[in-house]
Amino acid sequence: MDVLKFVAKRLLLMIPILIGISMLTFAISNTIPGDPARLILGPKATPEGLESLREKMGLNDPLYIQYGRYMVGITHGDLGESTYSQGPVSSDLIRYSPATFELTLFAMMITLLIGIPFGIISASKKDRMADHFTRLFSLLGVAMPAFWLGLLFLLLFYLKLGILPGSGRLDSGMSPPHHITGMYTIDALLTGNWTVLLSASMHLILPGITLAAVTIGMITRMTRSSMLEVLQSDYVRTAHAKGASENRVLYGHALRNGVMPVITLLGMAFGHALGGSVLVESVFSWPGLGKYAVNAITYLDFPAVMGVTLLIAVMFILVNLIVDTLYFFIDPRLKHN
Amino acid sequence: MLLDVKDMSLSLKREGKYIRILDQISFHVNEGETIGIVGESGCGKSMTALSLMRLLPDKARLEGKVVLQGDEITSFSKRKLEKVRGNQMSMIFQNPLTSLNPLQTVGIQIEESIILHTKMGKQQRRKRVLQLLNEVGLPRSEELIDDYPHQLSGGMRQRIMIAMAMACEPQLLICDEPTTALDVTVQAQILELMNEIKKETQMGIIMITHDMGVIAEVCDRVIVMYAGKIVEEAPVIELFLNPKHPYTLGLLDSIPKMGIRKQKLGSIPGTVPSPEKMPTGCRFVDRCSHAMDQCRNTLPEMIEINENHYTACWLYDEEVNKSGSIGSQKPETAFHY
Amino acid sequence: MALLEVKNLKQHFITKKGFMGKKTIVKAVDGVDITIDVGQTLGIVGESGCGKSSLARSILRLAEPTSGSIKFNGEEVIGMNSNHMKMLRREMQIVFQDPYASLNPRNTVRQILEAPLIIHSLGDRKERRDLIESLINKIGLRTEQLDSYPHEFSGGQRQRIGLARALALNPKLIIADEPVSALDVSVQSQVLNLMLDLQQDMNLSYMFISHDLSVVQHISDKVAVMYLGKIVEIANVEKLYNNPMHPYTQTLLSAVPIADPMLKRERIILQGDLPSPSNPPTGCSFHTRCPIATKECSEIEPVLEEKLTDHFAACIYV
Repeated sequence: MDVLKFVAKRLLLMIPILIGISMLTFAISNTIPGDPARLILGPKATPEGLESLREKMGLNDPLYIQYGRYMVGITHGDLGESTYSQGPVSSDLIRYSPATFELTLFAMMITLLIGIPFGIISASKKDRMADHFTRLFSLLGVAMPAFWLGLLFLLLFYLKLGILPGSGRLDSGMSPPHHITGMYTIDALLTGNWTVLLSASMHLILPGITLAAVTIGMITRMTRSSMLEVLQSDYVRTAHAKGASENRVLYGHALRNGVMPVITLLGMAFGHALGGSVLVESVFSWPGLGKYAVNAITYLDFPAVMGVTLLIAVMFILVNLIVDTLYFFIDPRLKHN
Repeated sequence: MLLDVKDMSLSLKREGKYIRILDQISFHVNEGETIGIVGESGCGKSMTALSLMRLLPDKARLEGKVVLQGDEITSFSKRKLEKVRGNQMSMIFQNPLTSLNPLQTVGIQIEESIILHTKMGKQQRRKRVLQLLNEVGLPRSEELIDDYPHQLSGGMRQRIMIAMAMACEPQLLICDEPTTALDVTVQAQILELMNEIKKETQMGIIMITHDMGVIAEVCDRVIVMYAGKIVEEAPVIELFLNPKHPYTLGLLDSIPKMGIRKQKLGSIPGTVPSPEKMPTGCRFVDRCSHAMDQCRNTLPEMIEINENHYTACWLYDEEVNKSGSIGSQKPETAFHY
Repeated sequence: MALLEVKNLKQHFITKKGFMGKKTIVKAVDGVDITIDVGQTLGIVGESGCGKSSLARSILRLAEPTSGSIKFNGEEVIGMNSNHMKMLRREMQIVFQDPYASLNPRNTVRQILEAPLIIHSLGDRKERRDLIESLINKIGLRTEQLDSYPHEFSGGQRQRIGLARALALNPKLIIADEPVSALDVSVQSQVLNLMLDLQQDMNLSYMFISHDLSVVQHISDKVAVMYLGKIVEIANVEKLYNNPMHPYTQTLLSAVPIADPMLKRERIILQGDLPSPSNPPTGCSFHTRCPIATKECSEIEPVLEEKLTDHFAACIYV
């Protein structure tokens, strides 16, 4: 009951946040110097042509009217026309987002599978070899810029060793699996298309790891410090006093308590990965939202930029809502309060 | 004899050096006897308890012998010691809230001790947990068993800790300031419970406290610790009637007495020396108003002055007394601030 | 002469229970009357959550009282403007339980002691220095120690520094909230001795809040026992300790462990725990745990009455 109330309240809170974000992006994109009409018509455009296009696009209206028009459109699911793709932004988003979600989800999966165990090992073997190694590793992950790491991976695994593909989502000439979710690996799995599954998975590896490097570092470090704190706690001492073995204490008592604060960070990490995809997708020519956004920016395609920003914001808020709701099920202190 | 501690010393690694925290502690506990360990904070009471349980930080060096029911547990492996903890010897701690795992029901936490040390089946274990809850004076045990620690009051939590420690009917129970964090009326309830448990079992109890009142209420014999050493040991009535060591006298004089108001209380000037800067002779020398040259240079040995009454102080040394150097200046009280 | 006169003081807090639960009113202080005479000590005892600290805070208006009257030296404190209040704060000082948390670790003792003098722009540099030096000697520390930082002192010394800071403005009343609870007995006694000496020298009044009945007994002239925001008994210290009238006071006194192994007493053991202040029992708030409670107790709210000369208790069976 409390959970439902909590979720409802948070969903309502989303509205002012999204309005704020839309205003901010709207204002920023309109203060950037540059004229979309000139970009569309090219350098040889006549002043009359430019003027009539501006009039047609509504660029001559005051900013608040433009914004109001945009917001009215949103309520009808209309995000405007992309000047770059020359189609509705909403259908562009639907087309490009599955690739990004696939990449981000894959990165989050690696983050969880590597980050948390690394953090636990690091904490339980504090100041020993394993700890030093994982700490160095996670520090590198956090410190290295994603685009640079991506280029490094490309150079090594694609150009030099040639064992992993370096761009796109599938081998060239291969046709995508039947469209169900739009995420190739999942669709291939659902339709039993093993060759496509293999190819799609191979293509995910390099951009996925590049994207995950930072979040793995974040999660490892957080897990380590949280576990260290828990291992010093009184109830862990109590567990030892009961005669529980090292492993039983670690996995029976410390783990659940130690992972708790990490969950919050997971939501943040997800947002980080979504944002990071803009760069990583460009490096690996991954046809997702990030690449779409980069193109949109270079073409001063404001409706497209706005659309991507809002979609990422909604995703970020929803993921964090899910994460916060999880606590109701993990922490009895919230359940009974 | 239930527990025999011989020359137990503990050193902890601090900033690369081993620092001696406990120095040649020797005492024993008989079946059915309650031993109090009293002293100011930082004098090594809790460390003594943790050393007996070997719940020590990673870099700790424990020397000497601890013999529990004929077994020299100091030589036990980690694995073997886990069989002793919570089974033959259990411990309860000062802060019952932080000493319980917040994410497990109290039932599960009590049951864990039973799982670790017996072969009882599930049904039997539940019955035993309910029985324990009743024994520690917690009503509605059927509902309580599924409660989480945060749902209970401080007194109830400490009862849970006691139930947990009693689960496998230990021969030795170590209590580290079990009532310090509790209100007076709740403290009275817990002390009452401890006295009942004492009557019903033949368990030996080590009661660590800074409160002479608690000592007087529950202990049979008392050990006074100062700066990591035992300075006096006596049956409880003897200690209160005929305290010998100037430190014990100082402690007793500092307590406000009922019926005596607004008079100067005795006190002990200065503070406990840090383990890094221990005096070479008697460790109390800098705070003692009876200090002699001898006290500065040589550490006094424990000597028996009355039946079962021992103290480590040069004032009671036969040689010193024979030479008449102190005459009648036996310590009575001293006022300072 | 009454220095402090508190009448029907109430301090109610509105709290939200849980994550997004409904609002509840916590009556931390619920109609308290006390007076403290010049040079006298009023002890306030009670268990955690009984409202002792809230009482201190609302008297100093560190939390704005809900209603009631606080007269200091005959002047009404509630509703007083902030300039006037600042003047008054010089006369009423507070000492906290944790001396370490209440001293800024980055300041030397000299800076700590000088701060209140500067805030109230008292004296020139030299006068301030002389005053600080006399203060530090008064509390039994050496002048050289003025340039040390709080962490270089022991707990007892820090509490004495806390006292010195309170004394810097030459107050008339010191409200001490559990001032010795964090200290070892041997050090606790030093602070108590010091407080008694200072009281004599400077004719100070104390409001001494503690959960420790023997400490309160030692230092107080008059003692008030609090339970769930209300005073259940108040009397001169001998009367209260020798002839406790309210069942709660009787229980408290019998619960204190006494450092005398030969003393055998009948102890009153209370059932259960302190009820939540946000949801106090009806009638007499103690009736849920009281050994002599009857049905009437859950219906009639007892008032604090003079049962014997200068001995007040709130119980219908006394």
